[in-house]
Amino acid sequence: MTGGHGAPVAAGGAGTGVGPPDHQPVFVGKALERLEALYPKYPTKQACLLPALWIVQEERGWISPQCMAEVGEVLGLTPAYVKGVVTFYTMYYQHPMGRHVIQVCTTSPCHLCGAAEVLAALLKETGCEELGRTSPDGRFTVVEVECLGACGFPTPILLDDDFIESVTPERVSGILGRYP
Amino acid sequence: MTTELVNVTIDDVPVAVPKGTTIIEAAKQAGILVPHYCYHPSLPSPALCRMCLVEVEKAPKLMPACVTTVAEGQVVRVQSPAALKAREGVLELLLINHPLDCPICDQAGECELQDYVFQEGRAGTRYAEYAKRFNPVEDFGPDILYVPNRCILCTRCVRFMEDVAETPVLNVSERGDRAYIGIAEAQLLDHPWAGNVVDLCPVGSLISKDFLHKARAWDLDKTASVCPSCSQGCNIMIETRDEVVVRLRPRPNLEVNRHFMCDHGRMNYRWMNRGDRVEAPLVRQDGKTQATDWETALDRLAELLRASDGTVVVLASGRASTEALGWVRRLLGDRRVSAAVQVPLGEEAPLAGIPGLALRPERAPNADGARLAGYTADWDAAVGAAPGAPLTLLLDPDLTDEEVAVVRKSRVVVALATVDDDRLSGIDLVLPVATMVEENGTYVNRDLRVQRFMQAGPAPGMARPAWWVAAEAWARLRDGRAVPGSAAEAYDALGSDMPALAGLGYDDLGLTGRTLETAAAGSAR
Amino acid sequence: MGFPHPPHSKETVVLSKYFGDEGARSFDGWVQRGGYEGLKKALGMTPEAIVEEVKASGLRGRGGAGFPTGLKWSFMPKNSGKPHYLVCNADESEPGTFKDREIMRWTPHQMIEGCAIASYAIGAELCYIYIRGEFTDPLRITQAALDEAYAQGALGPNVFGSGKRIEMVIHRGAGAYICGEETAMMNSIEGKRGNPRIKPPFPAQSGLFGMPTTINNVETLAAVPHILTRGAAWYKGLCLGSPKSTGTKLFSVCGHVMMPGNYEITMGFPMRDLIYDLAGGMRPGRTLKGVIPGGSSVPIMSREEAESALCDYEGIQEKGSMLGSAGFIVMDDSTDMVYEIYRLAKFYAHESCAQCTQCREGTAWTTRILERMLQGQGKAADLQLLLDLSEQMTGKTICVLSDSCAAPVVSGIKKFRGEFDRYLSGAVNPETMPAVVGR
Repeated sequence: MTGGHGAPVAAGGAGTGVGPPDHQPVFVGKALERLEALYPKYPTKQACLLPALWIVQEERGWISPQCMAEVGEVLGLTPAYVKGVVTFYTMYYQHPMGRHVIQVCTTSPCHLCGAAEVLAALLKETGCEELGRTSPDGRFTVVEVECLGACGFPTPILLDDDFIESVTPERVSGILGRYP
Repeated sequence: MTTELVNVTIDDVPVAVPKGTTIIEAAKQAGILVPHYCYHPSLPSPALCRMCLVEVEKAPKLMPACVTTVAEGQVVRVQSPAALKAREGVLELLLINHPLDCPICDQAGECELQDYVFQEGRAGTRYAEYAKRFNPVEDFGPDILYVPNRCILCTRCVRFMEDVAETPVLNVSERGDRAYIGIAEAQLLDHPWAGNVVDLCPVGSLISKDFLHKARAWDLDKTASVCPSCSQGCNIMIETRDEVVVRLRPRPNLEVNRHFMCDHGRMNYRWMNRGDRVEAPLVRQDGKTQATDWETALDRLAELLRASDGTVVVLASGRASTEALGWVRRLLGDRRVSAAVQVPLGEEAPLAGIPGLALRPERAPNADGARLAGYTADWDAAVGAAPGAPLTLLLDPDLTDEEVAVVRKSRVVVALATVDDDRLSGIDLVLPVATMVEENGTYVNRDLRVQRFMQAGPAPGMARPAWWVAAEAWARLRDGRAVPGSAAEAYDALGSDMPALAGLGYDDLGLTGRTLETAAAGSAR
Repeated sequence: MGFPHPPHSKETVVLSKYFGDEGARSFDGWVQRGGYEGLKKALGMTPEAIVEEVKASGLRGRGGAGFPTGLKWSFMPKNSGKPHYLVCNADESEPGTFKDREIMRWTPHQMIEGCAIASYAIGAELCYIYIRGEFTDPLRITQAALDEAYAQGALGPNVFGSGKRIEMVIHRGAGAYICGEETAMMNSIEGKRGNPRIKPPFPAQSGLFGMPTTINNVETLAAVPHILTRGAAWYKGLCLGSPKSTGTKLFSVCGHVMMPGNYEITMGFPMRDLIYDLAGGMRPGRTLKGVIPGGSSVPIMSREEAESALCDYEGIQEKGSMLGSAGFIVMDDSTDMVYEIYRLAKFYAHESCAQCTQCREGTAWTTRILERMLQGQGKAADLQLLLDLSEQMTGKTICVLSDSCAAPVVSGIKKFRGEFDRYLSGAVNPETMPAVVGR
C-alpha cells in the first residue's frame, strides 16, 4: 500500500470518565452482594438497573453523577443512559435530601379530604416552609407527590420507608417526633 | 425471487409497493410527502412525534404512517380534514414552548418546523400569556451546541447515537414538558460520527459551532459531490456562499453512506477555500520564471516531454480525479513510468450500526482510481526515483520539505498545482489546475464504486481541470488529436486505457454511482 | 369488605374476605383459609383447559381496560420455543384506586396463587410482580410471602411436586404512574425509561425482552384461584346487570363519603346503593355533586347519572363514563370542581412520559389554562381552547394518558359549566380562591 505522511491521524475517540477520584464505590461488601443477587433474576444486566439504583439510593440517600457512572460501569451502560433512567423516575433523588424525606399526596381524592391542610402543617412543623427545601436543621425535606394509592385513608404520607395513613394536621407533630 | 406487491391508494394516487412497506415510504413512491419529525429511514421508528398521522379508510383512529404497514386495497388520505387538523394541533403544541428564534437561528430556511407551520400551521398562537419553558444553551462537545428551548423532542439524536453509532451518550432526561436531551457530564459528544445529529435535528436545536451564524440557508448554493477525505466515498453536498465553501453535508446514498458522513470529512473543507492559488501557467526559461498563456505553457509541456528520455516519475495526489489520473498516464504513453499516488493514513472509525461504513484509514478519495489507472508504485520509492530522473510530474501532491528537496533533483520538474508553493519556485513548469470543487469528475471508492462529483464553483484565474491540461499536451504529442470537451468525454475516453471502466459510461453513473464488476477490475488492493 | 369498615351485607365478599385479618398473610394462614387449592387443581389440568375455564367465567381485566382475561391469555403463542413471561401489574397509581395494595398487604398469597396459576396457563416459568416503589408495606409483605411460598414448594423448579417450574420475582417501581401501562411496565422491567411502546407488536407476540408476555392486574389474578376452585359457572353467575360483566369488583370508594373503603360488589350492583348505603352516604348537610367512577381517567358523572347507573362495564358506559379501575371518587357540593379538574390535569402533566407531542405539551398547557382560571385570569375563549386541546389529546397518541387528561376536562366543562363560568366572570372572590398548591 502506498503511503503518505506516515503517522496516522487520530480519528477521535469517545471520551469516558467515571468522575472525580474521591468517589467511594457503592458496590462493595453487602451492597455488592445485593447487586450480585439480582443477576440471576433477570436475563440482562440492563434489567438490573432499577433495583441497582434502589441499592444506591438506600446506601447514599440520593444518586450522584458519580454513582450513576458507577452503576453504568458495573452493568455495562453509559452514564448518559443511566442518567436518562434516573431522571425519569420521581423516587430517585438527584440531590442530597434531609435525613428524612416526607412525600405527601395532594392529588384530587386526597385534596378533597384535606390534603392541602396536612401539607401546610407539615411544611410549617418541619421548618421546611417550602416544598423541596430541606429544613435548616437538615432533618426533613417535604415533597409533594401524586396519588399514593391510599385514597380511602386520606391523607397518606410516605416518611422514609414508613407508609403512614390517615394523617391530619393534628397528628403531624406527633408523627414528626418519632423521626429524630 | 419475486416480492409480493401490495396495492394502495394514497390521496387518490395508486401505488404498488412491496409487502411490509410503511405508509410513509409508500407515499414517497406516490410522490407524496407525509409530514413527519421523528421518523427517519436510517433510524428505528418510535412513532412519537405524532405528526405523520394519516386517515386510513375503515380504521377507527388516525394511524401513524411511519409504522403502519400497507394493506391490500388500503385507501389513505394524507390531506383529509382530520389529518390536517391533527397536524395543525401538533404544530401548535410544538410552538407553545418553541421560541421565536428564527431571526437568530441557523436553521431558518431549512427548518422543518418553519416549513410545516408555513404550510399547514395556525396563523397565530393561542399560547400568548404563558411563560415559555427556558433552559440555557449547552455545549455538548467539540462541535455541537444544544439549544433546549428549540428542541421538539423528536429523539432522532438519541436514537442515532444509541442505535447507529452504538454509543448511547445522549438521553432524554426528565419527564413530561420538563424533558430535554441530556448528556452525562462525564462523556462528551465527540464520537467520530456525532456531527450527523445536527443534520438529523429537524429544527435549530442541535447546531454546529463551526457553522454558527456563518451563512443563511437561502444564500447557499448546493452541489452534489463526493467527500474527498477518505476512501469510503460518502456522497456529500458542497454548500457555498458566494463561491466560498461554508459547509459539507451528507447526501443520501443507500449503498455507500446511507444518510451520514463522519466528522473528519465534514470538517475538512477549509483547504477548498485557500486563496493562495496558482492563477497562471508559470514557465521557467532563460533563468527566469514568467507567467504565460496556456498555448505557450502547453507547447512547453509537450516539448519537455518529447525531450525526456527514461523513466518518468509521477507523484499524484490521492484527491486527483480519475480523469486527471487517467489522462496524465495516457499523456506519458508507452514510456517507462514510476507513478505513485499519495495516500495519507489515519485511524479507522466505523459507524457501528451500519456495516461497511467507516472513516477509512486511507485518507484519499481516489486511491483505487489511481491504482486502476496504473499508479501502483510505492510512494517513497517513486520519490526516491526522482533525483536524476528525466522528468518528474507532480499532480498536486502535498509534499514534505524533504520530499520537495528530493524531487527538485529531478532533471525536469513539472507541477500541475492548485496551491502556489514557494518551495517549488523556479521549477520548469507550473500549470494551474482546479481542485475537485472546481471541476466535474469521478472518484473510485474502496468498494470500486465510481461516483461523480460536480463542479461547485469556478476555478480561480486561469486554472483548468488537470485532465484538460494532460489531454491538450497529449494532443500536441500526437499531432493535434481531438481532445475531450468535458469531464464526461474525458472519462468515457479512458475506457480503452482502463479496462475496468469499460462498459460503465459516465452517463450510467447517475448521482449515486455504480460499482465496477470486480472480475474485470482484478485485485486492486 | 368495606375495609376498614366491617363487611356490609350487600357486599359479595370473595377477594376481600380476609382484609383486616392478619392471619391470612402467612402461607399456613392462607392454606387454612382454603388457599393453594386452586393452584393444586390447576396443576392437574392442561393449560388450555385453564384458559377455557377463565374464558368461560367472563373475567375481565380489573386494572382499567376491562379486556376479557381468558381471551388475552389465549393470545400467547403455542409452541413458540421462546420463554414466556407473566407480569403482575401492582403499580396501582390511578387516582382514587387503592384496592390492589389491600390484596397485597392482607392476602399476598391470594395474589401469588393467582400469578402461579396464570403463569402455568400461559406457559410462563417466570412471573415479575411489578410493585410501585411507594408501596413499602406491600413490598415487604409480598417478599416475605414469596420466601414462604418458595420454602413450602408452592414456587420454584418443582411446584408441589408437579414437575412444573414457576418462579416469581418482585420488581420495584420508582415513582411513575405511566409504568402502570402494560408496555411501559415492560420497558421499566427491562431497565429503561417507562415509555409505552407502539402496538403492534402486541405483548403476546413480542413483550418483555422481546418474548411472548401477558400482563394482568393484581385484582384480576387474585380472582383466578377462586374461579378454579369454585368454577367458572359460579363466577359467571355473579351478575346483576349486563351478562358481559361478571364476577365481583372491588370499588375503592373515596372522597366525600362517610365510610371510604374498598367495597366488593357483584357486577351490576346499583351505584346509588354503593354511595348511599354501603359507603354511608354524604357528610352531614352535604349533597352529591358528581362522581368519577373509574379512577380519574374517565369522564365525570353527574349526580343524576351516578344515582341511576349500574356498576358494571356496560352500565357505566351507558351513562357516558367507564368502569376503569373502579377508583370511585365521590364529590359533594363543597367541591370546587374547577380546582379538582385542574389538580387532575396537573397529575397527568406530571406523569406524562414526554414521547407524544399532544400529551407532553397538551397536558401542561391544559394545566396552565386552568391555573390561570383559578387565579381569576381566565378568558372566555379558554373553555373552547380547553375543548380543542382535549380533542387533539384524544385518540392520537401511543397510550391513553392524554385521553385520560381530556376526559375530566371535557366532561367537567360539559356538566359543570356554571362553575367555570363563575371563575371566568370574576364572580369568585380572589381571597377565597383555593391556594394553588405546589410547583
